[in-house]
Amino acid sequence: MRWNGRTRCALVCIGFVLLFSAFSFRLIYLQLVKHDEYAGLAAEKHVYKQPIYAERGAITDANGEVLAHNVPVEIVVADTSHLNKEKVAEAVALLSRDLKIDADELWGKLGSDRHYIVLKRDVPESAADALRAKLREQNLRGIYFEHDAARLYPNGSMLCHVIGFTDFDHKGIQGVEASMDEYLRGQDGYRYIEHNRAGQEIVLYRGQERASRDGYQVHLSVDLNLQNIVENEIDAAVREYSPERATILLMRPQTGEVLAMANRPNFDLNQRSTARPEQMKNRAVIDMMEPGSTFKIVTAAAALNEKKVRPDTTIYCEKGIWNYGGRTLHDHRPYGELSVQDILVKSSNIGAAKLAISLGDQKFYEYIRRFGFGERTGVELPGEINGMIRPPQNWSKISITRIPMGHEVAVTPLQMTVAMATIANGGKLITPRVVKSITTADGKTISEFSPSVVRQVISEETAKQIGRALRGVVSDRGTAAAAAVPGFIIAGKTGTAQKVDPHGGYEKGKYIVSFTGFLPADHPEFVGLVVLDDAKTSKPELNYGGLVAGPIFARIAEKAARYLDLAPQPDLIKPTAAGRVASTSAPGH
Amino acid sequence: MNRSRQLNRVGAASLARWIVITALLAAAGLCYVYLTLQLHRLGDRKKSLETELVGLRTQNDVANVQIAALTSRSALQRRLKEGYLKMIPIAEQNIVRLAPIRPAPEENAIRPVANDQVSR
Repeated sequence: MRWNGRTRCALVCIGFVLLFSAFSFRLIYLQLVKHDEYAGLAAEKHVYKQPIYAERGAITDANGEVLAHNVPVEIVVADTSHLNKEKVAEAVALLSRDLKIDADELWGKLGSDRHYIVLKRDVPESAADALRAKLREQNLRGIYFEHDAARLYPNGSMLCHVIGFTDFDHKGIQGVEASMDEYLRGQDGYRYIEHNRAGQEIVLYRGQERASRDGYQVHLSVDLNLQNIVENEIDAAVREYSPERATILLMRPQTGEVLAMANRPNFDLNQRSTARPEQMKNRAVIDMMEPGSTFKIVTAAAALNEKKVRPDTTIYCEKGIWNYGGRTLHDHRPYGELSVQDILVKSSNIGAAKLAISLGDQKFYEYIRRFGFGERTGVELPGEINGMIRPPQNWSKISITRIPMGHEVAVTPLQMTVAMATIANGGKLITPRVVKSITTADGKTISEFSPSVVRQVISEETAKQIGRALRGVVSDRGTAAAAAVPGFIIAGKTGTAQKVDPHGGYEKGKYIVSFTGFLPADHPEFVGLVVLDDAKTSKPELNYGGLVAGPIFARIAEKAARYLDLAPQPDLIKPTAAGRVASTSAPGH
Repeated sequence: MNRSRQLNRVGAASLARWIVITALLAAAGLCYVYLTLQLHRLGDRKKSLETELVGLRTQNDVANVQIAALTSRSALQRRLKEGYLKMIPIAEQNIVRLAPIRPAPEENAIRPVANDQVSR
């Protein structure tokens, strides 16, 4: 074969064609077949998904006063691979001084070879700015700042059990912060961004973006003015009686709105890390107690509603001692014939027992359940318990005489308040609410909670009859004269129950005293409950609901009536509650 | 003679067309570069404005927190105890309550108000 010029030229051309064809095929392969793979790898180097954090919604009271909101803070983090090894001592000295962290702890953290070490959370913006400037000045690298938000509670311990708190991941773990977490949390957004070698974003190549949605604002039904009244009074009660626990509740009976809720012991929401578990319990919904004589409203209401008796029907109260089922039942005074009304006014245990017997086990049990005992009320607070109501088949022979006076049953303070609200509300059982509405930050309503009637427990007429009887309780004839408020007619009921021993039986000399009532009796504006567990009175015979819890209720009711601008009736302005205490000889029961 | 004249003739129209095309292409290229630079510059400006906005929001949030802390009930009560605020409780006799307004019989009729407490 002769290699002439033409042939050689053709071969070179073919060579070039093949070479460029190979290049072309490779190019097509890379650009079409492997495009996604290599684009992904490239993106990993330069593009990343930047989260856009949503702000947690605020919690406000019924008047819009802020109860919980966010404060911008920064997290100081370190990447030890970026730290200049010769300048670690300098960095430790600066960080230790500015962030108030132990130097040894810092040496331990910065001595490791980790890329992400959290040095301190919740650093205020001003402190972070100052530290940033110093780091720049001293040319210290490897210390970075991340934006974050801390939850702040301007009122400290006030309403702590209702508001609750969040963990460091901003997840609600107690109170409304937990129950409304879904609404408060909001939704984080994201943005795909590309950055240059210096780490600065190239805005031109900004990718897909989804805006964040800030959390909704939760407005509580609690009125901070009323809450303040309650908090001051519960503090005064704790100072005076040193109870183990105390709970006070105020509720609007027509709507079920909880107006105030306070428990002791309590804790400061801004220093929750130092609080003990028993301080964090919202005893209004997670603690159960034997209600004592306040439970007699259920017994009397059931008997009247079933038309077994009329308010003026008299019942023989056995002169204070009655043997039933082999056990003796006592009244605190030897009463003879008492009307149904007077059974409540005088708080006769024997009278209440006879009313329950007239109903029978099953019917009585039905009424207890109809009043909402033995089931959660449905309030928007986490951890609510059912209480303890045993079905009739588990009752002993004497249960029918003990349950009517609030023994052998366990209820939560909120359940007891709801039961009294049922009387105040014409027999309608209402679901209690602590959340009034949910709105966006600019005020657009997302959800509004309207009153929810669970059932008509008793007739309106029966509720009125019980209401009339309960007015007598807060009179010179009744067990709670000290609960009277000048200028207003109050309906209420006292309770004094011996404390249940967790190991069985009752604790000697320890009582749970309570008072629950509503004001004004004719058209109630609020229902209140005061419970003190193991109050220490100067004399043991003074440890009664009417003498301990009654005056506390009176002081709260007086101030609340003034705040709610309820006009007092001038003809009812008499000597103060304290004066009445001295005039009454009968101890409250 | 005619042939050489034909060979040396410059196609003015064609040249002009090429010059225009080249100029357009150059202008388009320059525009592209200019606009790309502008986009980068605007992007940087956008970023700095966003940063400024975040800073302002942060300042606003911090200010809101301070306002809330200073006007909170606990803070006001503390100031009240310390004597920075002077408040005197209103006595019951100093409260004037107006009777509920009754609908007026006519559009422009004067509606009297009554103080029940005083009248009793």
